[in-house]
Amino acid sequence: MLTIKQLFLGLLLPAIVGGGILLFARSLSSKSDTIGDEKGHSGFSGWLITAALGVGYTVGYLGLEWLPAFPPKLGVHWLFYLAIIGLIVAGFWHFSLWGRLIAQVALVLIIPRLLLTSTFKYTWGQTEGIIWWVCIAAAIFIFWYLVQQSFIVLPSGASGPFVYFGLSGGTALVLALLGSLRLAQHAGILVALFATNWIIVLVLHRNNKRFAFSSSTSAVITLLFTGIWMNGYFFAEVPAVIVVLLAISLLLAPIGRMEAIQRLGARYSTIAQIAIIALPVVIAIGIAIARSGFFGESSGY
Amino acid sequence: MKMDLGRNLWFSHIRFFVLALLVIGFTGTAQVVDAADAYEIDTAHSMILFRAKHKGISYNYGRFNEFSGKLSIDETDISKSAIEFEVKTASVDTANEKRDQHLRSPDFFSAKQFPVITFKSTKVSMKEGKENMLEVTGDIELLGVKKSITVDVEITGKGKGKQGESLIGFESIFTINRSEFGMTYGAGAVSDDIRLIVTIEAQQG
Repeated sequence: MLTIKQLFLGLLLPAIVGGGILLFARSLSSKSDTIGDEKGHSGFSGWLITAALGVGYTVGYLGLEWLPAFPPKLGVHWLFYLAIIGLIVAGFWHFSLWGRLIAQVALVLIIPRLLLTSTFKYTWGQTEGIIWWVCIAAAIFIFWYLVQQSFIVLPSGASGPFVYFGLSGGTALVLALLGSLRLAQHAGILVALFATNWIIVLVLHRNNKRFAFSSSTSAVITLLFTGIWMNGYFFAEVPAVIVVLLAISLLLAPIGRMEAIQRLGARYSTIAQIAIIALPVVIAIGIAIARSGFFGESSGY
Repeated sequence: MKMDLGRNLWFSHIRFFVLALLVIGFTGTAQVVDAADAYEIDTAHSMILFRAKHKGISYNYGRFNEFSGKLSIDETDISKSAIEFEVKTASVDTANEKRDQHLRSPDFFSAKQFPVITFKSTKVSMKEGKENMLEVTGDIELLGVKKSITVDVEITGKGKGKQGESLIGFESIFTINRSEFGMTYGAGAVSDDIRLIVTIEAQQG
């Protein structure tokens, strides 16, 4: 059970910090709008939107766990450093396309190698390890691309944070049911941050995508989600099918752009698009409930 | 001249042969001494139990079902003795599968990331003023964190097995703080101090 202290430190505090940074970013962005800055979030205010997520997460992490070991020992420790790495990458996001691509490739290769050091050591042989390494790196790279695409294909400003609110909520629920309450709490920090983002955008800029995410936000989102999923699959008891279902949910986002769905009108096509993305997440939660024995006799201890 | 050369060669062969015999002899003797002191832990008659307090109310016990280890006992000079242990974290057993699954998760033992807990002694000495009591200092590694601990180990008995092999028994009861090893989850529900009860029967191998 979550204590009041954990609820405050793991949910409320990151939401307050993340929300505060988002509102500050919005005020900066509004000023730049008045002087006709067409680039909008590509500058400091864009990075602040990423910072709302990255700093909000690190605050939540510190609230739940305090400072992680350095070098990290547990897979969970890596999540703190992934948020910081994401923030640094986001800071250089608009400098050079090639620099960004090289950083992305380097990160998707280095992070699984470091986070899964013990799995490389104890579980995999050399060849098996290399195959896993390449596959995981490719999967992270593809997910990163899907995150970037989702900022474009999701229809309204508020639907972006709502989709990620659902994805992090599904991840938290699955982890709580199956593997690890600790990891679930970390996904819970993301739930609080995306919920805050969603509410702010919904209230202040319902249809303006620019206020939901900056393209550099994809770095923090990708590293944190894949970090949590890798921990869940490799170190907790989360089955591969659930991780895959969660990871591919964004793959379905472009379906909502199909003409047949667009003909439903703005509101219904948005609902349909979100429902399509939510489908794999709902299936993943269903599998987790079935596997956890939640409704069985031995549901607790 | 030829004869001298032949004799020198013959002597050099003899010298090499004698030297080789001496080397083999010494190594052989050393192996016998090692073998005489070496014990393997008999897991069928050994147990590693742990005790944690639940919500400050009651003590809950658990055990590790899979472990292995070696001892080297030098009765003439106990400081030359040594002990090594390896415990498989996935074998944690508290008689509740749901709880065991949680204990194996990253919340506690993170058994997939850290499959073993190890202990390796660095110093063994007789406990002053106490017969049959050793003081063992060693490094325990849990969740990738290595800590030096010193524990009292009681020699509970000695005897002979069915095949005439030497048997020796030990017991040690000591407490560790799990937070020192980074196991901080569930601080309100599970006590920080964990009592370990290690009882070993080892046979000469």
